[in-house]
Amino acid sequence: MRRLFYILFLSVFFSVNICASTPTEEGEKINVKEIIFDHIGDSYEWHITSVNGKHISIPLPIILFSEQSGFHMFMFSVFHHEESFKGFRIGEKDGKYAGKIVEVNAQGEEVRPWDFSLTKNALALIINCLLLVFIVLWVAKWYKKKPMEAPKGFRGVMEMLIMSVHDDIIKPCVGKDYKKYAPYLLTAFFFIFFNNIMGLIPIFPGGANTTGNIAVTIVLGLCTFFAVNIFGTKEYWKEILWPEVPTWMKAPIPLMPVIELFGIFTKPFALIIRLFANIMAGHSIVLGLTCLVFITAQMGEVVNGSMTVVSVLFSIFMNCLELLVAYIQAYVFTMLSSVFIGLSRVESHH
Amino acid sequence: MSLLMPETGLLFWMLLAFGIVFLILAKFGWPVITGMVEKRTSFINESVKSAEEANKQLENIKIETAAIIAKAHEEEVKILKEAAEMRKQIIQDAKNAASEEAKKIVEATKEQIVAEKERALNEVKDQIAEISIQIAEKVVRDDLKNDKKQAEMIERLLNEIKTSH
Amino acid sequence: MLATILGEVVLAQIGATLGAALAVIGASLGIGKIGSSAMEAIARQPESAGDIRTTMIIIAALIEGAALFAIVVCLMAL
Repeated sequence: MRRLFYILFLSVFFSVNICASTPTEEGEKINVKEIIFDHIGDSYEWHITSVNGKHISIPLPIILFSEQSGFHMFMFSVFHHEESFKGFRIGEKDGKYAGKIVEVNAQGEEVRPWDFSLTKNALALIINCLLLVFIVLWVAKWYKKKPMEAPKGFRGVMEMLIMSVHDDIIKPCVGKDYKKYAPYLLTAFFFIFFNNIMGLIPIFPGGANTTGNIAVTIVLGLCTFFAVNIFGTKEYWKEILWPEVPTWMKAPIPLMPVIELFGIFTKPFALIIRLFANIMAGHSIVLGLTCLVFITAQMGEVVNGSMTVVSVLFSIFMNCLELLVAYIQAYVFTMLSSVFIGLSRVESHH
Repeated sequence: MSLLMPETGLLFWMLLAFGIVFLILAKFGWPVITGMVEKRTSFINESVKSAEEANKQLENIKIETAAIIAKAHEEEVKILKEAAEMRKQIIQDAKNAASEEAKKIVEATKEQIVAEKERALNEVKDQIAEISIQIAEKVVRDDLKNDKKQAEMIERLLNEIKTSH
Repeated sequence: MLATILGEVVLAQIGATLGAALAVIGASLGIGKIGSSAMEAIARQPESAGDIRTTMIIIAALIEGAALFAIVVCLMAL
């Protein structure tokens, strides 16, 4: 423990010394909020890095369906040279449609066309899904070759993870007919887990904030919503619409049924917001800590040197915490979904 | 606020991607993996159970074998004892038969001896009679010129023979 | 002067930060309570430490979910 303390102190001290000898320079103000929201939000190109002020990024295809001019598909790189292309342009910075493609419709207003572009998040989703399918099918291939042996290595870890989710979350929480819902719940767990982990990797295929985007979590929550309510037994609906409470709570003014109906919507909504906010907050914090270095760069070299060490340490800590959060959020989503599904498959007690 | 408004494009792509992933994995991924692991666990459980049963049966068989071996030992001892007794019995019978035979032979010999003695005696009697007659003849030749003395001599000789018997 | 100071934007930002702070206070109190009762439970029965730890993490995630609701609303107001 004391050695660790010495190492930390010496690193701060030396970085301060090294940085104190270089001259300071003027730079532009760093807008932390903009940086963070840029990295968390979506964009039409995948910015990999900036070398000497030149941005290296992958332009992504833009697929639009406009009510005025029909179907369009082009690459984002057209907007590097021109301001407007075929009537489409990028919405201005602080307007309603900042950073998104807009067009002017017949009335002269700015509207958004139907935008099915492969944005950064969409491309990252597709990459992560391909990776997930590839890994799971690679694991499943072993069982066709050697049915009665236990797999080793990465396959063994995957099998352990899959069976721990299957036996500890799905089987006890769903109850009797867990086999029907196990595929969806397993897919949800591994999808969320992989996307969270890939979001933590800073360079190209990773680094896109997929599960921190509300659209992705809305789809996941909607899937749980449908899984719970479409396959709910009659007893489940009876307990919602005519629960077994004293009659004055249901008859003239249906208090309890309204509360239960509310509950049907709030439970998946909580799932959506929990996953979205946890992952987004985690990425924001890591980005903010990293920006700390750039902020203090303008305040002087001494402060910068020491704060760099502090920032790196905190970033390490936050990234480890984010790893834990990645697993926990997938775990909690799957567990709550399986609990809801199990609750909806309730049988009559009489 | 823009954070909380879902983009239609992303919704579309997410639905597409998640739907395809779900379909592929639900068909080819999860059932294979969970099915095989469950088959493997049940196979292992059954193997353990049948190994236990086989062990139990082995124990039973061992016990039975030990019992059979013990019984075989007893039988062996019994048979040996019986054989010994039978040997004694046979010897005894043989001895008895031999002694009876010996007795019979002795009896027969005795009878034979008696018969021989009789015959010998009879022969001797005849011889004696002859010799005595001859002697008597000679003796009596002189006397037997007299008839009366002849008859008296014969009667006296006969009586003496009868009384000597 | 008050009207310019308490301009819409500034009021919104003050409200957002205060709301976020209160949400975090509530969440930390709740998670602290869970942590303390989990410690007590583990001290009473050390062999169920694994179960208790798992339950504690799950409930902490649920509480954080509620707190992050508030954070999201505050971010919207920022």
